[in-house]
Amino acid sequence: MGILAAAIAVGLGALGAGIGNGLIVGRTVEGIARQPELKGTLQTTMFIGIGLVEALPIIGVVIGFIALAR
Amino acid sequence: MSQYDQMITRERKWMLYLLAIFVLGAAFTPYVRIFLGLLLGGAVSFYNLFLLQKKTQEFAKAAASKDKPRGIGMISRFAAAIIAVMIALRFEEYFHIVAVIIGLMTSYPVIIIEFFLSRKKDRHESGVK
Repeated sequence: MGILAAAIAVGLGALGAGIGNGLIVGRTVEGIARQPELKGTLQTTMFIGIGLVEALPIIGVVIGFIALAR
Repeated sequence: MSQYDQMITRERKWMLYLLAIFVLGAAFTPYVRIFLGLLLGGAVSFYNLFLLQKKTQEFAKAAASKDKPRGIGMISRFAAAIIAVMIALRFEEYFHIVAVIIGLMTSYPVIIIEFFLSRKKDRHESGVK
Protein backbone atom coordinates (compact mmCIF):
# COMPACT_ATOMS: atom_id res chain seq x y z
CA MET A 1 0.00 0.00 0.00
CA GLY A 2 2.91 2.32 0.80
CA ILE A 3 4.39 1.79 -2.67
CA LEU A 4 1.05 2.63 -4.29
CA ALA A 5 0.68 5.76 -2.16
CA ALA A 6 4.22 6.87 -3.05
CA ALA A 7 3.67 6.20 -6.74
CA ILE A 8 0.43 8.19 -6.84
CA ALA A 9 1.88 11.11 -4.85
CA VAL A 10 5.07 11.36 -6.90
CA GLY A 11 3.39 10.63 -10.24
CA LEU A 12 0.58 13.16 -9.93
CA GLY A 13 2.93 15.74 -8.42
CA ALA A 14 5.39 15.35 -11.28
CA LEU A 15 2.55 15.47 -13.81
CA GLY A 16 1.31 18.78 -12.41
CA ALA A 17 4.81 20.20 -12.23
CA GLY A 18 5.51 19.08 -15.79
CA ILE A 19 2.39 20.73 -17.20
CA GLY A 20 2.94 23.93 -15.21
CA ASN A 21 6.62 24.20 -16.03
CA GLY A 22 5.93 23.44 -19.68
CA LEU A 23 3.43 26.28 -19.93
CA ILE A 24 5.74 28.74 -18.17
CA VAL A 25 8.89 27.81 -20.06
CA GLY A 26 7.10 27.67 -23.42
CA ARG A 27 5.68 31.16 -23.03
CA THR A 28 9.01 32.51 -21.81
CA VAL A 29 10.91 31.11 -24.79
CA GLU A 30 8.25 32.53 -27.11
CA GLY A 31 8.55 35.94 -25.46
CA ILE A 32 12.35 35.98 -25.51
CA ALA A 33 12.41 34.87 -29.16
CA ARG A 34 10.08 37.74 -30.08
CA GLN A 35 11.70 40.43 -27.94
CA PRO A 36 15.24 39.50 -26.80
CA GLU A 37 15.59 42.90 -25.07
CA LEU A 38 12.97 41.79 -22.50
CA LYS A 39 15.11 38.81 -21.45
CA GLY A 40 15.73 40.14 -17.92
CA THR A 41 12.07 40.72 -17.07
CA LEU A 42 10.93 37.46 -18.63
CA GLN A 43 13.56 35.36 -16.86
CA THR A 44 12.57 36.94 -13.53
CA THR A 45 8.93 36.03 -14.17
CA MET A 46 9.96 32.53 -15.25
CA PHE A 47 12.07 32.06 -12.12
CA ILE A 48 9.24 33.07 -9.78
CA GLY A 49 6.71 30.98 -11.72
CA ILE A 50 8.84 27.84 -11.67
CA GLY A 51 9.62 28.38 -7.98
CA LEU A 52 5.95 28.57 -7.08
CA VAL A 53 4.88 25.71 -9.36
CA GLU A 54 7.49 23.33 -7.93
CA ALA A 55 6.70 23.90 -4.25
CA LEU A 56 3.78 21.48 -4.07
CA PRO A 57 5.33 18.63 -6.16
CA ILE A 58 8.40 18.72 -3.89
CA ILE A 59 6.13 18.26 -0.85
CA GLY A 60 4.40 15.44 -2.76
CA VAL A 61 7.71 13.72 -3.52
CA VAL A 62 8.84 14.06 0.09
CA ILE A 63 5.57 12.71 1.51
CA GLY A 64 5.60 9.88 -1.03
CA PHE A 65 9.10 8.96 0.03
CA ILE A 66 8.17 9.03 3.71
CA ALA A 67 5.16 6.77 2.96
CA LEU A 68 7.50 4.41 1.12
CA ALA A 69 10.14 4.33 3.84
CA ARG A 70 7.83 3.73 6.80
CA MET B 1 24.15 44.46 -12.41
CA SER B 2 20.83 43.49 -13.95
CA GLN B 3 17.52 43.40 -12.06
CA TYR B 4 17.66 39.60 -12.05
CA ASP B 5 21.19 39.52 -10.62
CA GLN B 6 20.17 41.94 -7.86
CA MET B 7 17.15 39.78 -7.06
CA ILE B 8 19.09 36.51 -6.81
CA THR B 9 21.76 38.19 -4.67
CA ARG B 10 19.12 39.44 -2.23
CA GLU B 11 17.46 36.01 -2.11
CA ARG B 12 20.77 34.29 -1.34
CA LYS B 13 21.43 36.88 1.36
CA TRP B 14 18.07 36.23 3.02
CA MET B 15 18.58 32.46 2.85
CA LEU B 16 21.99 32.83 4.50
CA TYR B 17 20.40 34.94 7.27
CA LEU B 18 17.80 32.22 7.84
CA LEU B 19 20.46 29.49 7.92
CA ALA B 20 22.43 31.57 10.44
CA ILE B 21 19.32 31.82 12.64
CA PHE B 22 18.87 28.03 12.44
CA VAL B 23 22.52 27.49 13.45
CA LEU B 24 22.09 29.84 16.41
CA GLY B 25 18.87 28.03 17.37
CA ALA B 26 20.61 24.65 17.24
CA ALA B 27 23.52 25.95 19.31
CA PHE B 28 21.76 27.98 22.00
CA THR B 29 18.24 26.58 22.48
CA PRO B 30 17.07 23.25 23.97
CA TYR B 31 15.24 22.37 20.69
CA VAL B 32 18.37 20.97 19.01
CA ARG B 33 16.60 18.27 17.01
CA ILE B 34 14.08 20.70 15.51
CA PHE B 35 16.69 23.28 14.59
CA LEU B 36 19.01 20.65 13.11
CA GLY B 37 16.09 19.48 10.98
CA LEU B 38 15.37 23.03 9.91
CA LEU B 39 19.07 23.49 9.13
CA LEU B 40 19.21 20.36 6.98
CA GLY B 41 16.03 21.29 5.13
CA GLY B 42 17.15 24.91 4.78
CA ALA B 43 20.54 23.90 3.37
CA VAL B 44 18.92 21.68 0.74
CA SER B 45 16.38 24.41 0.03
CA PHE B 46 19.25 26.86 -0.50
CA TYR B 47 20.87 24.41 -2.92
CA ASN B 48 17.53 24.09 -4.75
CA LEU B 49 17.20 27.86 -4.93
CA PHE B 50 20.76 28.21 -6.24
CA LEU B 51 20.13 25.53 -8.87
CA LEU B 52 16.86 27.15 -9.95
CA GLN B 53 18.52 30.58 -10.28
CA LYS B 54 21.45 29.15 -12.27
CA LYS B 55 19.32 27.00 -14.56
CA THR B 56 16.85 29.83 -15.23
CA GLN B 57 19.70 32.16 -16.16
CA GLU B 58 21.30 29.57 -18.45
CA PHE B 59 17.94 28.76 -20.02
CA ALA B 60 17.11 32.40 -20.78
CA LYS B 61 20.61 32.93 -22.19
CA ALA B 62 20.25 29.89 -24.47
CA ALA B 63 16.78 31.03 -25.59
CA ALA B 64 18.04 34.54 -26.39
CA SER B 65 21.05 33.29 -28.38
CA LYS B 66 18.91 30.66 -30.18
CA ASP B 67 20.98 27.78 -28.72
CA LYS B 68 19.45 24.52 -27.64
CA PRO B 69 18.28 24.91 -23.99
CA ARG B 70 19.37 22.16 -21.57
CA GLY B 71 16.40 21.78 -19.21
CA ILE B 72 15.59 23.47 -15.93
CA GLY B 73 16.76 20.85 -13.41
CA MET B 74 13.42 19.72 -11.99
CA ILE B 75 14.57 16.14 -11.35
CA SER B 76 17.76 17.35 -9.62
CA ARG B 77 15.69 19.46 -7.22
CA PHE B 78 13.32 16.57 -6.47
CA ALA B 79 16.33 14.30 -5.89
CA ALA B 80 17.92 16.81 -3.52
CA ALA B 81 14.71 16.95 -1.47
CA ILE B 82 14.59 13.14 -1.36
CA ILE B 83 18.22 12.99 -0.17
CA ALA B 84 17.39 15.40 2.67
CA VAL B 85 14.47 13.20 3.74
CA MET B 86 16.62 10.06 3.45
CA ILE B 87 19.24 11.60 5.75
CA ALA B 88 16.53 12.67 8.19
CA LEU B 89 14.97 9.19 8.24
CA ARG B 90 18.36 7.48 8.61
CA PHE B 91 19.49 9.72 11.50
CA GLU B 92 16.12 10.20 13.15
CA GLU B 93 17.72 10.79 16.57
CA TYR B 94 19.33 14.00 15.27
CA PHE B 95 16.76 15.41 12.82
CA HIS B 96 13.06 16.09 13.34
CA ILE B 97 11.36 14.97 10.10
CA VAL B 98 8.59 17.61 10.12
CA ALA B 99 11.21 20.30 10.70
CA VAL B 100 13.15 19.01 7.68
CA ILE B 101 10.04 19.34 5.50
CA ILE B 102 9.37 22.86 6.83
CA GLY B 103 13.04 23.66 6.18
CA LEU B 104 12.73 22.41 2.60
CA MET B 105 10.02 25.02 2.05
CA THR B 106 12.08 27.97 3.37
CA SER B 107 13.12 29.25 -0.04
CA TYR B 108 9.54 29.73 -1.28
CA PRO B 109 8.48 32.42 1.25
CA VAL B 110 11.85 34.08 0.54
CA ILE B 111 11.07 34.14 -3.22
CA ILE B 112 7.52 35.44 -2.68
CA ILE B 113 8.40 38.10 -0.09
CA GLU B 114 11.39 39.27 -2.15
CA PHE B 115 9.18 39.52 -5.25
CA PHE B 116 6.56 41.66 -3.50
CA LEU B 117 9.18 43.87 -1.84
CA SER B 118 11.06 44.46 -5.10
CA ARG B 119 7.78 45.17 -6.94
CA LYS B 120 6.77 47.69 -4.29
CA LYS B 121 10.20 49.32 -4.52
CA ASP B 122 10.05 49.47 -8.36
CA ARG B 123 6.59 51.05 -8.24
CA HIS B 124 7.74 53.56 -5.65
CA GLU B 125 10.78 54.48 -7.80
CA SER B 126 8.72 54.82 -11.00
CA GLY B 127 6.07 56.90 -9.21
CA VAL B 128 3.16 54.48 -9.82
CA LYS B 129 0.72 54.15 -6.89
